[in-house]
Amino acid sequence: MSVDAVTAARIGWDWLRAAVAPAGAFGRRYDETASPYAPGDERRAGDEIAECVALAQQIEPAALERLRGTLRAVPEPTPIVVRAQAGDVLGDVDFYELARFADALDELERVWNEAGGSTQRRPPRVERLRALLGPGRDGGGFYLSDAFGEGLRSSRAELLQAENALELRRRDVAERVRDVLGIVPAGDEFVVMRELHPGPLPPDLRLVREGPAYRVVAFALETGARDDAFTRVAAAEEAARRELSLRVAAEHDDVISATRALGALDHLLARAAFARRWGGCVPELTATIAFEDGVFAPLAEQLAARGRHYTPLSLELPGVAVLTGPNMGGKSAALATAGFLCACVALGVPPPARAARLPLLERIVWLGGDDAARQTRLLSSYADEIVRARDILATASQRCLLLVDEFARTTGPREGRALLIAVLEALRSRGAFALAATHFDGVAEAAHVSHLRIAGLGAGTFAALDADDLDAALDAINAAMDYRIVAADAPGSASDAFALAELLGFDRSIVARARALCERPGDEPTARG
Amino acid sequence: MVVVGTAKNSGKTTAFNALCAVAGRRGIAIAVTSLGRDGEPADALDGEAKPRVRLAAGTLVALPAGLVPRTPAMAILESGASSALGAIVFARAMLPVTCEIGGPPTARAMRAVVRRLTALADGPVLVDGAIDRIAPLAGGDDAIVLATGAASGATVSAVAAAAADAVARLQLPGRDPARERERVVEVDGALDVRDAQDLIAHAAGATVVVSDPTRVAVRGGLLAALRSAVDLRCERPLRIVACTTSPLGRGVALPVQQLVHAVAQATGLPAFDVVSDLAAFPAAAS
Repeated sequence: MSVDAVTAARIGWDWLRAAVAPAGAFGRRYDETASPYAPGDERRAGDEIAECVALAQQIEPAALERLRGTLRAVPEPTPIVVRAQAGDVLGDVDFYELARFADALDELERVWNEAGGSTQRRPPRVERLRALLGPGRDGGGFYLSDAFGEGLRSSRAELLQAENALELRRRDVAERVRDVLGIVPAGDEFVVMRELHPGPLPPDLRLVREGPAYRVVAFALETGARDDAFTRVAAAEEAARRELSLRVAAEHDDVISATRALGALDHLLARAAFARRWGGCVPELTATIAFEDGVFAPLAEQLAARGRHYTPLSLELPGVAVLTGPNMGGKSAALATAGFLCACVALGVPPPARAARLPLLERIVWLGGDDAARQTRLLSSYADEIVRARDILATASQRCLLLVDEFARTTGPREGRALLIAVLEALRSRGAFALAATHFDGVAEAAHVSHLRIAGLGAGTFAALDADDLDAALDAINAAMDYRIVAADAPGSASDAFALAELLGFDRSIVARARALCERPGDEPTARG
Repeated sequence: MVVVGTAKNSGKTTAFNALCAVAGRRGIAIAVTSLGRDGEPADALDGEAKPRVRLAAGTLVALPAGLVPRTPAMAILESGASSALGAIVFARAMLPVTCEIGGPPTARAMRAVVRRLTALADGPVLVDGAIDRIAPLAGGDDAIVLATGAASGATVSAVAAAAADAVARLQLPGRDPARERERVVEVDGALDVRDAQDLIAHAAGATVVVSDPTRVAVRGGLLAALRSAVDLRCERPLRIVACTTSPLGRGVALPVQQLVHAVAQATGLPAFDVVSDLAAFPAAAS
């Protein structure tokens, strides 16, 4: 499904993607390769959403967060097994990291079981890899122990013996140096100042370099036996690493498969956490847009941050519909809610609604409203809108949802209304979904599409307010506004422009004059509010 | 314990190795790490041969994954913060081993590495340090050994003066509310030449507090003038316990005994030449 930048900003697409971002790298990689669901994917999308909802019901929020935290901590084994498969001889830190990966999967399984996770979605295990590395495990670490190669034990014993013999020899020489020169060297190399020791050097010392005042000398120790032993240890250790690397390479597919399973689990848990937070439902995936108590979560989150309440919306969109209602009544929010819930199912996210019937779409498009990006271009508001509408209509099909927000409001109202009617007729004939918010009168009837409206302000709710206190005015509007979407012919207020103007501190005498003008026969404007 | 040098090639790694060797001889298990990159065969900048870091069996070390020697194999215990050469790995030498060591890139990560080494080790932690990167260790009970030598001066008196200057700067007393003057000036960030001039001119007699001694960027006579004008203190002091001396520099060989005595006298700290096996103490020096 495609969503352009303007639409993404309007319907909270990016917000949603961030809200269901996986906790760890495996999940992020999984998400990068997973495309949104498209028409035809209904079964897979439905299964995923159902699993998310089941997980959300099954696992407590705190346990969900523990699981996500554990997933985040799983180390990345992929580059290591890929290198092993390419024939590289791995290092001990690589083996340690693989062992840590196996440990982390054990820990994840423990947390999963503790959280009451289902057996079908149990985290992956890498038993063979764990067994391979077992001889090197002592506590949480890794050591290329003698068990990894036949020659290791003996060559290491020889090296230790050679090192000890060398150390004994070094001590002998050091004692002689102490006796003759009165120096106790800390290392193998030391300085003899000519002012202190002008005479010949004792045996078993070699001159490294000298100056007029000093001689740098070092122990002349025979290191051949130690060097040979070291070489044998190096050969034995590399042989052991090579063998172990080959066996790790054989586990490549299992490890990669485990990382994918981890990614899928991370992806699901992120969605389950979202469902826990926003109360997602399992929708019926069908060619209808209908939902009860749907929540446009980005707006709900913003309002909650300001101590305000979001009113869930219900909508049944039979193809194309016009949505009218007062300013600040939530028309744009209703459009966004419809787009957001469709975006949820496209991403396999339980839509935050009590119940929903939603389609998988090819495209969601927002048309109209203020577009900040437009201001950087040379076109006027109207021209910009027309160009965008031209491009949208060129490809609009049955599997598109167009969210039309006060289209053509910046041109003459008579022509703007006619254009909107014509656009809606075109969309209806193509079988597309469209919800068009407008203040133009009679559009739904003229285009032969459904007419819905925001219920609007209740009567007699505007007690005298301090005109300068916008916060109080917003509270009053919020308290008085009925944000429900109802059929246009339902009883109640239809337009509240004058009441809102008064409530927002507009000069009452001007509002009264406007009201009088509006009530004079023959003076009705063609655009309301 | 942290070994820092007054200049490049001042014998820091030699002093570090000497401390490791002494610990080994006395059977003291130690843990080691570095604030930079040490023990490489040749200096990355000038190509000069450098002393390697030699670790006895049983030594615990924190080093980047890229510097873990392949032979003899070390036991990898844990991994931690990342660095340019891979994650910092905590490992134990199973056989005597010669290697390069390095440390994490940030002060906070270094503090965490030292804390973790302290928890894992049965004995002291030894850090091959750098004078401009010891701020993260300030305020703890770490002992600091200052390596100095012919690399920081062409004469005995020049080396001793450089050592005394470094010690004076690093040994700022800690803040003590009971002894604070009536006026207290807290300096955020570095105390530079301009700050020092301002303080001498306008804050004489006040207590001046910096966060740690490495924040003091003035040297020599100006530092002495500042300290006599104000009561200069720090929030998190460092503890310098000794100096080491290295008589050899590029084309310079200083008289070893004179040098070790001069440094002890100038700094008021015990001074050691770990290569020539000499020691001098301030009391004896004076």
